[in-house]
Amino acid sequence: MNRRVLVAGLAVTLPLVALLVVSLGRDPHRMDAPLVGRPAPPFALRPAGGGQPVTLESLRGRPVLVNFWATWCVPCFQEHPVLTAGSRRYPDVAFLGVVYEDEEPRVQRYLREQGGAYPSLMDDGGKTAIAYGVYGVPETYAIAPDGTIVDKHTGPLTDGRLRALVDKARIGAMVGQGSQ
Amino acid sequence: MGSRWQATLRRGLRLAAVVLALGLPLRADTQAATSSEPSEQPIDLVHVASVVGPAQGPRLTAGALEAEAQRVGALLRCPVCQGLSVADSPSTMATNMRQQVRDMVAAGFVEEQVLAYFEASYGEFVRLQPPLRGVNWLVWLAPLLGLLAGGAIVFFVLRGPRGGAQTPVGPGPVGSQGSVTAPVSHTAAPDTAVEADALPDDAELARLVLRIREIAYGWPGGVRPRAKEQA
Repeated sequence: MNRRVLVAGLAVTLPLVALLVVSLGRDPHRMDAPLVGRPAPPFALRPAGGGQPVTLESLRGRPVLVNFWATWCVPCFQEHPVLTAGSRRYPDVAFLGVVYEDEEPRVQRYLREQGGAYPSLMDDGGKTAIAYGVYGVPETYAIAPDGTIVDKHTGPLTDGRLRALVDKARIGAMVGQGSQ
Repeated sequence: MGSRWQATLRRGLRLAAVVLALGLPLRADTQAATSSEPSEQPIDLVHVASVVGPAQGPRLTAGALEAEAQRVGALLRCPVCQGLSVADSPSTMATNMRQQVRDMVAAGFVEEQVLAYFEASYGEFVRLQPPLRGVNWLVWLAPLLGLLAGGAIVFFVLRGPRGGAQTPVGPGPVGSQGSVTAPVSHTAAPDTAVEADALPDDAELARLVLRIREIAYGWPGGVRPRAKEQA
């Protein structure tokens, strides 16, 4: 009789324990990126410090890297040199910063001190970050010349990871042209 | 002052560009621009509609708008918080998301469209109530199934196996029913533990008690082993 209770108890608890073990191996902060493979949400944002609004539409035909960042974000500070060097190394790729939850004067001062090699756009109200499904900064989206998001990187970029994103954004072009 | 003028100009340019590019009726975008005063950026109606289709409800204003925006915001998970809804979180991200919800509701998008818009960029995780589809059915059905299964187990265990091997419990006074318990409780020296083993008068109830003792304590037939030895 006790064996029956034991079997019944195990039948109930074992699946739960298995679920727990499987779930413990997963990072609860790792989010899926449902936008990868879909058209990049359009935006028209003005650069920090003023100037004409930059639209994603105007960059159609070029691979684009959109980097969401903020001056208060330490990993963004770490990846900043990687991005500025990358924008010079890959001149065929359009690099864009989108400022996330930050104030324009801080952004301008940061760019003066750290050096900026490409426009950083002000996302007042955070509508663009929401459209891209940004959880936190830094996040970088690789967009193919046909406007499709081909990859997303969460966290600070390394040279190698940037290179991979650039390659994907370029290859997206070939795939796009091939299918046409 | 300058930035306000700039913002107005920007809005105008944007509106003109959208209208020119897509030939949409001017009215819809004028409404969007005026309905989102607190936000610097009006929502991109063209983009939103390209994701979730044209607005399916009436445009809302004032109290109705606030109530609906609050209700829908409570259904969205704040992505940067721990288990808080967009309506409840004080974070900047949630504030921005609330504004997005408010703008969409004001433009006539219904609850399902608002949720679908956020889901398109954040994934299903952003919904606080998992929609009834695919594996999610389990979340809704598992508790009910568990309750039914538990009830069934209790029912069958209490009823016991039909014609099983354990001591049959017949009708009649408790003292006389088992050849084992009767001598112990009446002839041996008073033993509180054994006294505590006394059974109710009702035969059916007594049978159940023995059954439960058998399951819970592992006593064969529901009878205390030591008592057996004494007998």
